[in-house]
Amino acid sequence: MFDADKFIEETIPKLKEEIKGKALIAFSGGVDSTVCTALVNKAIGERLVAVHVDTGYMRKDESKEVKKMMEKMGLNFRFIDASKDFYKALKGIEDPEKKRKIIGEKFIRIFEKAAEKENVEYLVQGTIAPDWIESGDSLRDTIKSHHNVGGLPKNMKLTLVEPLRDLYKDEVRKVARKLRLPVSERQPFPGPGLAVRIVGEATPERTKIVREACDIVEKEIENAVEKGLMEKPWQYFAVLLPVKSVGVHGDKRVYGNVIAVREVQSVDAMTCTYSKIPHEVIDRISTRITNTLKEKINRVVYDITNKPPSTVEWE
Amino acid sequence: MVKIYVIDNGGQWTHREWRTLRDIDVETKIIPNTASFDEIFKDSIDGLVLSGGAPRVGLESKLGNCAEYLEKAEFPVLGICAGHQFMAQFFGGEARPSKIPEFGKIELTLLKEEDILFEGVPKRSIVWESHNDEVTKLPEGFELLAESESCKIQAMKHKNRPFYGLQFHPEVEHTEFGEHIFRNFVKICTKK
Repeated sequence: MFDADKFIEETIPKLKEEIKGKALIAFSGGVDSTVCTALVNKAIGERLVAVHVDTGYMRKDESKEVKKMMEKMGLNFRFIDASKDFYKALKGIEDPEKKRKIIGEKFIRIFEKAAEKENVEYLVQGTIAPDWIESGDSLRDTIKSHHNVGGLPKNMKLTLVEPLRDLYKDEVRKVARKLRLPVSERQPFPGPGLAVRIVGEATPERTKIVREACDIVEKEIENAVEKGLMEKPWQYFAVLLPVKSVGVHGDKRVYGNVIAVREVQSVDAMTCTYSKIPHEVIDRISTRITNTLKEKINRVVYDITNKPPSTVEWE
Repeated sequence: MVKIYVIDNGGQWTHREWRTLRDIDVETKIIPNTASFDEIFKDSIDGLVLSGGAPRVGLESKLGNCAEYLEKAEFPVLGICAGHQFMAQFFGGEARPSKIPEFGKIELTLLKEEDILFEGVPKRSIVWESHNDEVTKLPEGFELLAESESCKIQAMKHKNRPFYGLQFHPEVEHTEFGEHIFRNFVKICTKK
């Protein structure tokens, strides 16, 4: 069995050995990067600079919360708002792999710039097993380029350190619990963020729509879980589809987009089943999304596919 | 500690095979399929798992050095998906693109419940699949152990040597008795 205590015990001296100078960590505020930060912080302390990038594709108030958390953890941190940059880079881009690669490269360039300023040579990332497995290599097909692996440019100045490479999410959570990190139970969120929850071009306007829908799904699900109506899914979110359909709002015809609600159960993200959630919960989600987003969204569908054949995120 | 290595044929779940073995306290390591038999054998392993891989790789005449492993191994070998298809071809059977490929949740039916690999597994159980190809003709000297509605050769076993092939994936979390099947394979490896 995976032993979190042993993992922590063995990893810290290894990191001390591996990182000779200053290191920068790509800090999203999710479970993986937070665990990574805590470990590296224990190993090299002040020599670690945590960098959070607001890509413009974060969830509602997420970057604000991450900032608070970095303060609370007592990190030496930098907060970079690069949303305009990211929106510009993704303008006109519809292909999901292109989106992921552009975002991956953008991240690295920002980190490189920050690293240069701080005189840093190492880049620490919270890459976990499914990230590099699904990104593909000489033996494996690319299922999707995880931004922190398949999105990395070939010419990179920083030396990568990835202490969680052999772990799956459930194991990272075990480590997080041992380290008493408040994020240990947070649902996974993809590095490219909401950009891969918008099928088609990820414009700022469409991002706003999917951000609102994701927020409604999260709140309603967490509410239902708290009330004991259902088990907490592994992941629960909304996807904005480019499909349009006809609706009727107060005797008036509307023609708007569709939101797909995706909720899955999993342990390690390598296989998933769709969540069988109570109708009353999905009902509330549907009503709230359509009533909040009005003429933008007039239809909500529920995704009932397992992985395989599908993946968790749509892109 | 029992030592079972995983040969990486490029499957999405190769690392999951490694993890399942490690979780049940087996000493394990992922080895690229380009390693020679001697390189692996010098570690005095007790068994070997041949992982899955991309579509059609199990149908080629060569799958890294898997042929050499099957030729020389005296220890138990468990072929999974592409590893299973290659095993069938190596021993004179046939593997072809599936008429009906299976992805995700499938019901497995055991035909030989008494086999040690399936000890404690009910006649019908849920397994997870992800294959474009399958074994279409059992090699001589093998017996059929399990089937599903769309794939008739889901599990097979060599009659005289400790070689098993599985089309489904016992290493993934959603296969109901997956870890149990791995434990049984470990038993086979320790028996000798």
